[in-house]
Amino acid sequence: MLDTVREIETPEGISLHLRAAGALPRAQAWMLDALLRMGVFMLAMIPLSLLGVGGNGLAMLLLFGLMWAYSVVCEVWMDGQTVGKRTLGLRVVNADGTPVTWVPSVVRNLLRVVDALPGVYGVGLACTLIDPHARRLGDIVAGTMVVHTIELPAGAQVPTVAAIPPPVVLAADEQAALVEFAERSGQLTLQRQEELANLLMPLTGRRDTAAVSQLIAHANWLLGRA
Amino acid sequence: MKQERFVAMYGREWDSLQFWLNALERQPRRTLRQEQTLDFPQSYRRLCHQLALARGRGYSREVTDRLQRLVQQGHRVLYRPTAPRWHRVAVFLLAGFPRLVRSQWRCMAAAATLFYLPALVTLLLMQLRPELAHTVFSSAQLAQFEKMYDPANPHIGRSSGTDLQMFGFYVMNNVSIAFRTFASGLFFGVGAVYVLAANGVLIGGVAGHLNAIGYGGPFWRFVVGHSAFELSALVIAGGAGLQLGLTLLMPGRQRRGPALVAAGWVGAQLALGAFAMLLMAAFIEAYWSSIAALPNVLKFGSGALLWLLVLGWLWRGGRGHGDGA
Repeated sequence: MLDTVREIETPEGISLHLRAAGALPRAQAWMLDALLRMGVFMLAMIPLSLLGVGGNGLAMLLLFGLMWAYSVVCEVWMDGQTVGKRTLGLRVVNADGTPVTWVPSVVRNLLRVVDALPGVYGVGLACTLIDPHARRLGDIVAGTMVVHTIELPAGAQVPTVAAIPPPVVLAADEQAALVEFAERSGQLTLQRQEELANLLMPLTGRRDTAAVSQLIAHANWLLGRA
Repeated sequence: MKQERFVAMYGREWDSLQFWLNALERQPRRTLRQEQTLDFPQSYRRLCHQLALARGRGYSREVTDRLQRLVQQGHRVLYRPTAPRWHRVAVFLLAGFPRLVRSQWRCMAAAATLFYLPALVTLLLMQLRPELAHTVFSSAQLAQFEKMYDPANPHIGRSSGTDLQMFGFYVMNNVSIAFRTFASGLFFGVGAVYVLAANGVLIGGVAGHLNAIGYGGPFWRFVVGHSAFELSALVIAGGAGLQLGLTLLMPGRQRRGPALVAAGWVGAQLALGAFAMLLMAAFIEAYWSSIAALPNVLKFGSGALLWLLVLGWLWRGGRGHGDGA
């Protein structure tokens, strides 16, 4: 399927689904972090400026921490999330789907220098657009990726109608196709909905609008609605 | 088995696991002390089994999606990384880091050559033709160097500022340079080569110029203390960048992706070690090197001792069977 989901098999023989986060939410998270860091620095400058020249040294140390250490410390101690990433519902994970560890986090954050290079994140943006898992260079070298943490409940967008069980037992991918049709039907024109629903004549035994509503009713049953 | 019966049989188990996992996210310490923690690995494996069953039997997405979400949450908990330990930091600095530097000795030797050769050449050229200083530095820069290392200055190596201020400045400045040197090595090593050679010319130029105008005394007295840690760390960061770039060019008998991940792992550890060395250098530079009133014997003696210490540490550290890691 044309999708940004990466499947990883766990030792238990189950596959995990990691939904890769694209450039836009990550840029938003970065902006939030940048604003937060600037705010912290400005607030800290108020007492530090009272300390005279020695305060300048402390300010430099703070700036160093915010520039280089902030992301690593946040990612390692907060389950792969900086404050910005947590707000946007993103998480950095290792190649095996576990929250990022020390060394990979250091790699991806040091290589920010390269990703950020021409202008604002030029290399990084180009790289996330090319890579199938939307990783920037730092992520590729570190073996990490950024994923969405918020799982959309399946079928949340399916319109609620009275459920009708399908006449035959459907295979998993057939079920998925039916639910996805019901999910997206709102975005299609009426004619296109009917055209697609007519393909399932053998299942529904109806045509046009009646077939569409029948399929949505089946989808409701598959989603376990009464 | 019908889906309804399956859910009726195991639904309560899933609910209680979901409750425990949610509590763990909110209050990790308290939840880990609960009785249920001991059962978690078992119940997680049972859950995986149930998900596989639900998939295999073609149950509806209501059930499979719910189990999938629960499994993803559980996977993060069961396979979470162990908490970092301070003991490991000490072992890394004493044994692991020198071992890693030695394992990359080719890149380190190349980086040292790229740095020290331009530095020495510039230093010598400045002795022969002192007017060259004006092609390398602007007159404002030269005036500042001359002020910093004026023999009449009570604090050598700086024109103004306190120890703490300079410590912060050195940390920010030097560590940023080292990190950038490492990262820019990803451009096929070109970035690291440039930074190493440029810093070599710069440092050699300052040394040569000050020597030529007769301010050599204060300059060498200033730099001898912290140079061991600072220059070695710069070379190591450059070497780490070089090995990253060379891996991209010549991945050897591996595909580029996995080869780069391995090189990144090594490079990050080298960069962290260089960071520790630069912290040490900044401390020495701010609190010891700047004291002008100490006799030459003490200044140069301690400097030589530190060089021996650093080179001995990099050469012998972590040898022998007691790896401790």
